[in-house]
Amino acid sequence: MVLFLQLILDGLASGAIYGALALALVLIYRATHIVNFGQGEMATFSAYLAWQLCEWGVPVALSLLIVAILSFGLGVGVFWLVVRPIYRAPSATVAVLTLGLFVIFGAVCLWIWGAEQQQFPAIFPDMGWTLGGVRVTANMLGLIATLCVLAIILACVFRFTRFGLAMRASAAEPENSALVGLRVERMLTLGWGLAAVVGFLAAVLIAPHLFLSPSMMVPVLIYALASATLGGWDSPMGAIAGGLMIGVAESLGATFLPFIGAELRLCIPIAVALVVLLACPAGLFGRKAVIRV
Amino acid sequence: MSNLLQPKSHVILGTVFLIAAFAALPALLSSFLLFQVSLVLTYAMAGLGLNLLLGFSGQVCLAQGAFFACGAYTTAILNTRYGIDPLLTLPISTFVTALVGVAIGLPALRLPGLQLAIVTFGIAAIVPQLILKLGDFTGGVTGLNMDVPVPPTWFFGDQEAWLYYLCAAGAGLCVLVMRRLVRGDTGRTLRALRDNTLIAQSMGIDLTRTRLAVFAISSGFAGLGGGLYAILNGFISPQSFLASKSIDILVGTIIGGASSISGAFIGAVFVVFVPDWASEISPALGALIYGLCLIGMMLLAREGVVGLAIKGVRHLAAARDLQQSKQRSPAPNAAIGEEIRP
Amino acid sequence: MLAVHHLVAGYGSLQVLRGIDFSVEEGSIVALLGSNGAGKTTTLRALAGTIPSKGRVTLNGTDLLGLPAYHRTELGIAHIPQGRGTFVDFTVEENLLLGAITVRSRAQVAMDLDRWYEAFPRLRERRRQPAGTLSGGEQQMLAIARALMSRPRILMCDEPSLGLAPAIIHELFATLERLNEEHGTTMLIVEQNADLTLRIAHKAYVMEAGEITLEGSATELLATPSVQRSYLGA
Repeated sequence: MVLFLQLILDGLASGAIYGALALALVLIYRATHIVNFGQGEMATFSAYLAWQLCEWGVPVALSLLIVAILSFGLGVGVFWLVVRPIYRAPSATVAVLTLGLFVIFGAVCLWIWGAEQQQFPAIFPDMGWTLGGVRVTANMLGLIATLCVLAIILACVFRFTRFGLAMRASAAEPENSALVGLRVERMLTLGWGLAAVVGFLAAVLIAPHLFLSPSMMVPVLIYALASATLGGWDSPMGAIAGGLMIGVAESLGATFLPFIGAELRLCIPIAVALVVLLACPAGLFGRKAVIRV
Repeated sequence: MSNLLQPKSHVILGTVFLIAAFAALPALLSSFLLFQVSLVLTYAMAGLGLNLLLGFSGQVCLAQGAFFACGAYTTAILNTRYGIDPLLTLPISTFVTALVGVAIGLPALRLPGLQLAIVTFGIAAIVPQLILKLGDFTGGVTGLNMDVPVPPTWFFGDQEAWLYYLCAAGAGLCVLVMRRLVRGDTGRTLRALRDNTLIAQSMGIDLTRTRLAVFAISSGFAGLGGGLYAILNGFISPQSFLASKSIDILVGTIIGGASSISGAFIGAVFVVFVPDWASEISPALGALIYGLCLIGMMLLAREGVVGLAIKGVRHLAAARDLQQSKQRSPAPNAAIGEEIRP
Repeated sequence: MLAVHHLVAGYGSLQVLRGIDFSVEEGSIVALLGSNGAGKTTTLRALAGTIPSKGRVTLNGTDLLGLPAYHRTELGIAHIPQGRGTFVDFTVEENLLLGAITVRSRAQVAMDLDRWYEAFPRLRERRRQPAGTLSGGEQQMLAIARALMSRPRILMCDEPSLGLAPAIIHELFATLERLNEEHGTTMLIVEQNADLTLRIAHKAYVMEAGEITLEGSATELLATPSVQRSYLGA
């Protein structure tokens, strides 16, 4: 029982990371109907920037703040330069474009900072408690709490503010939005900027634990893709829930299913996603598009 | 009328020339270059399969690399464990991979496009791990060494050339099958399914059966390509079949042009040669240059190289028609053909 | 208020409008009639800025040429497209709020929300329902209210009667007439349903194959034999 709870807690903590990156992916998908395969590498790049600032003596909190703003700019820049000319093209074309982003950002990180792993400054204090046999660290709580706060803030912004309404509308119905006077492309640009910041957040949360390296986010990307698919690509809450579920499933599965072991860990999110999708093809929280014939 | 509809003699002449060029390559190229061209052909086969799925039936499958691996490992295992002649393993590999394709297709094809893409990508990502896990069968991380088929006595060239002709034959077979599928009734069914699923279904097209059949053929192509890949290299290991393989095949297909047969070959050339050229230009920035090429290609040529070529030809033809019609009627009405630009 | 001079527009290399001239006086209802393919919808789209166009279009003296759609909305053009432009997954209230998304003053938005709920009580009943679940007639009312939330100078409706039952259409046109009389809302209505439209309009134009072939006051056109034959089923 204690083991069970421990595994669940561990799973929630790693699931928080998957959920955060999945959230970034879903934000972009809702805005522009694009899956940005380069999201993880863009986030890694931002994390490296933050690390570099810290190396140069800038206090951690200030570095994070500065780079958060820079990431927003990065997201806006990438959208404006590279995505905007092409986002109405067939999805396979756009997929290759974002794969190009994946390759480029990974290569830039490798080129500037090399392949060795770096130690990223810890965000949460190195504390832990044992409650009833279950080990709880400040890091775990911090991850889960950050994700919850992020989820709540986004939910409130989207649901209760005019800005959130404008963003949702621009993403869902761009033509009608233009007719009510919304500057649709501006909204999409903001969406990309916001998603870049969320991605940066995910990278920063995982970097202290995984060690910073150019390919740090690659496995996370795969888990995040599965999470977003599980939760439903048009639901930010679904992405977060999907991430948590997959984190827990992976944690439990790797321990209780011996035939999986270390090699087949990756099977778990795919299998879970596949099983759920067979029951709900649009994802758990996704909306089935009503097709008017 | 535009001159795009060329008289039949031109097409025949062109095809003959193409075949002759392909046949003469071993004499013209160095051993290593010939090897790379053979590699291109194996990727092109997988690419043709993806073309069939993506370009002609509108389904995004990112597991072509997994099917490629399946074909390669089936061939290698049959040869190393059971001593079967490499060439004889090829039909078996193709068939087995097609079966695997159907097995994956049965659950996967019920998913909408995006979800299908991600699930198949996940499958592709798992493949190396799966190969490692089944180490007893697959030789695990050390890989498998294959017998290389010796050219028969009547063959006039060396081993490299023999392998090349094998790959060319395989690719040619795939092209023939694809052409038959794409023209005629099956092609129409596929395009109907791609363009408007609802209407196609209401007209009686069996969605599931057709899609499964396409999936099977497509994975069969990849299986054949994979088997030839194993024979060509003489050695395979899990390292050869990372998720990036599936991505390479996808990239090649899109860059070449997703609804064109020649596009698969052009794309395979891109994927085999450009990364090497990029790292020759600059070892550190090779990947960066490759990524820039990808983005550049997509910004410039959304429909791939072949699409760009077709547009170019159409423009030339239209310009020539306009020229001819201007010569015939000296006072054109300015309003005709005036395009409204934003 | 709205003056259109030699408007040319189309889709790519297909030219639809061949240079049309018309105007809309402030506070009036102008009808733009014609059969399918005449270019009526293209006209509205060109005015709204959703397709590129050439020619001179001025709204109260301001030249609209080259301005993007959102800018024209800010200047006071409200376009209700065919299909009503409903945000289907959003609630009725969210739809109305979206109509006022360019309005800075929250007090004004709140006031207008009340005002239009008064004018269309059925919308108030359904304020929290997804707009896609409303009937055709209700969606049309919603579209009009949404357009009016931005206090536009001119309301452009593209075939408002499309797909609606006759009784609903009567109610709709009565509403439009009432809006014009009570609030002075300027309207440009594109319709195939000439009869009802001519009865509430002040001035009318008839379009054929991208050109304006007839113009006059609504009463004149109602009496014109060719119009009666082609559009009134007489």
